[in-house]
Amino acid sequence: MSQRSSPLAPRERRAVVRRAFFDSIPVLMGYTTMGFVAGVLLAARAGVSCATLWGLLTSAACVSGTYSFAIVQPVAERVPLAVIAAMVASVNFRYAFYGFTMLGRWKGVPFLKKAFLVHMLTDENFALEAACRYRAPSAHLLYCLSVSAMNFLYWVAGVTAGTFAVAVLQGAMDPDVLRSRTNGMEFAMVALFLVIFTDQMKGFLRNGR
Amino acid sequence: MGDDFLYMLGVVAVGWAVTVGMRALPFLLFAGRRREIPPQVERFGALVSPVIIAALIVYSYSGLQWRTAWPYLAGALTVAVQLWKGSPLASIAAGTALYMCLVSCGCMTAESEMEYGMAHPLIRMTEKGMKFQDRYVTPQQAIKELERRRVPHDATIHILVDDENAYRRASLVFRGMLAKAGYARSVLITEKRASSSSPIQPEKRKDVGR
Repeated sequence: MSQRSSPLAPRERRAVVRRAFFDSIPVLMGYTTMGFVAGVLLAARAGVSCATLWGLLTSAACVSGTYSFAIVQPVAERVPLAVIAAMVASVNFRYAFYGFTMLGRWKGVPFLKKAFLVHMLTDENFALEAACRYRAPSAHLLYCLSVSAMNFLYWVAGVTAGTFAVAVLQGAMDPDVLRSRTNGMEFAMVALFLVIFTDQMKGFLRNGR
Repeated sequence: MGDDFLYMLGVVAVGWAVTVGMRALPFLLFAGRRREIPPQVERFGALVSPVIIAALIVYSYSGLQWRTAWPYLAGALTVAVQLWKGSPLASIAAGTALYMCLVSCGCMTAESEMEYGMAHPLIRMTEKGMKFQDRYVTPQQAIKELERRRVPHDATIHILVDDENAYRRASLVFRGMLAKAGYARSVLITEKRASSSSPIQPEKRKDVGR
């Protein structure tokens, strides 16, 4: 069994959470901005009623930028759910390989906590958690949980705010004008793919040598 | 509303199941066992995921105006900033901002601004059949294309006909279909003159029948 380290003292706990917060600040900026754009696109382009509700639900159920961007156009065209499933599987295939790295470190974590960590295993979370320097299992777990919870809030807040902003504007603005103001924003998804690909290539070249 | 609600609920459920399923896969596969991951698995992942992402990039470029240089310019800026700064937010913001500028400068037509007016009628009735832009389609496909391009329902749909008299019946049937799909205002135009006819409204015709 994995060795149980002694529970953390309150002061240590605070230090771990503080560390997690400072590490999550770049993610805070990224998630709120990207989430906002994804929310705006969902509300302005996908043609669904109660967009704010769907912004909240999609972002909370599926914390994944590629998912949020990729569903906009198919939802606008109301493609069958099976097609959406296939598409989400292909954009998010890379996640299947993040777990292998965390498998050992999360051994013996209680089911619900582990389920939350797995739910939140995004690119950014994975990067932070894999790079985390806490060796003691309890400190590492607390760090992972704090980072996950913070990033979850950032993402959900970003997407929901984006959809809400459009919902408010739609009352005051002609929908066609609103749609034309977001022209070109769809490039954010292509840019996201390019960034992921660039990073993968960087890692690939580094490991290949 | 009800159908849409269920559909969106499905989108949420499918997204959750697939994404979390992917993330949970290693934990499910190696649930009871020791942590011995075959090295082939890791090598496979390191190879396959970039290939998939590359395919996605190609696919998403096909939805942009890939015949022009502009989308590649924005893409190059994104990659350059990512290589230089290594910050996804900065790279995505730079690339997207450039792309939005290019669109608003008129370098590219945004999809929602595709022209469907009289100057460039999308739909044309020819001897060989109906054409949508430059390909032959069935009337149903033409309406689907209009909807896909989010042409607003109150827009006037211009249908270019080579010879008005020859397509009288066919165009009437098609305009009836358009009206049923919500495009109540359609106009037949010939190369020579625009014949503006009154909008067809199927509901009103029903009233007359009664």
